[in-house]
Amino acid sequence: MDHLLKERDLAGESSRNGNLQMGSVKLSLEKRAAVLALVCSLIALGGALLIAGPIQELANSAFFAGKPSSGIAVSPELLAQGSGFFAQSCADCHGDDAHGDEGPDLHGLAISNARIAAQIKNGTKGEMPSFAKKYHDPEIAALVAYVRSLR
Amino acid sequence: MSIDPALWPRLHGASTHFPVALAMAAALCDGLSAVCPEGSPRKARLRGAGYCTIILGALGTFPAVLSGLLMTKGRVLGRDAELFHHLFVWPAFALLVGLGTWRALVGDKASRRGFAIYLAVLFLTAALMAGAGYWGGELILNS
Repeated sequence: MDHLLKERDLAGESSRNGNLQMGSVKLSLEKRAAVLALVCSLIALGGALLIAGPIQELANSAFFAGKPSSGIAVSPELLAQGSGFFAQSCADCHGDDAHGDEGPDLHGLAISNARIAAQIKNGTKGEMPSFAKKYHDPEIAALVAYVRSLR
Repeated sequence: MSIDPALWPRLHGASTHFPVALAMAAALCDGLSAVCPEGSPRKARLRGAGYCTIILGALGTFPAVLSGLLMTKGRVLGRDAELFHHLFVWPAFALLVGLGTWRALVGDKASRRGFAIYLAVLFLTAALMAGAGYWGGELILNS
């Protein structure tokens, strides 16, 4: 009887040890995975922030920055004309340097010329007035060229 | 020859919806699996779906972040709506990559406690992704 009880105790202990061991293996796997996950997160985040600088340089290069694509021939005169229109009608909200005030910053806009022109023409209800009556296509083209020149 | 600057917003729009949707789907599947009875086939199926969606979501963040950086010409914060968008994006990106890595390594061997912590972080990440999506939309509407 004693012998049987001892055997049962041993079996129970080994089973408990087995569970504990299994539990500790699980825990260590989860912990190791958590450490690796943290490392991967930091590498991904750090990598993204590190490549931001080179991307900034690359994005400002002629190839990536793009050129006005709506058939606007950009000349210094056109830019000067656009700058004049900007000072007259846009600087109040977008700031004298176009870095934003009430309206958003206009430097490095990642939208097409057609979209910029449509925004100037139509405005946005409650946010920006329409300039369709004040400016016609040639003037809007000058404004677009000026806004596009802001890097 | 040059690349049309409108290409990057288009690529960002095309790529960014996948990680947002996949993170939400992972939170939904894993959240539902947590309330299913232990050992039920539905629980296993939901866990499987959660496993796939979180890993695909984590992988999907890379093209989304890269196209976003190209779109903003490397600006990591910006201002106004862009700033708010980025304040949600960066932690969500880091958390999603971490969650995807953890899930890929642990698979279905997670303990109850480990999975509960994972689930809590996953819900937080899904909320951050939703915030990033909201401010991304505001950014487009205001541009």
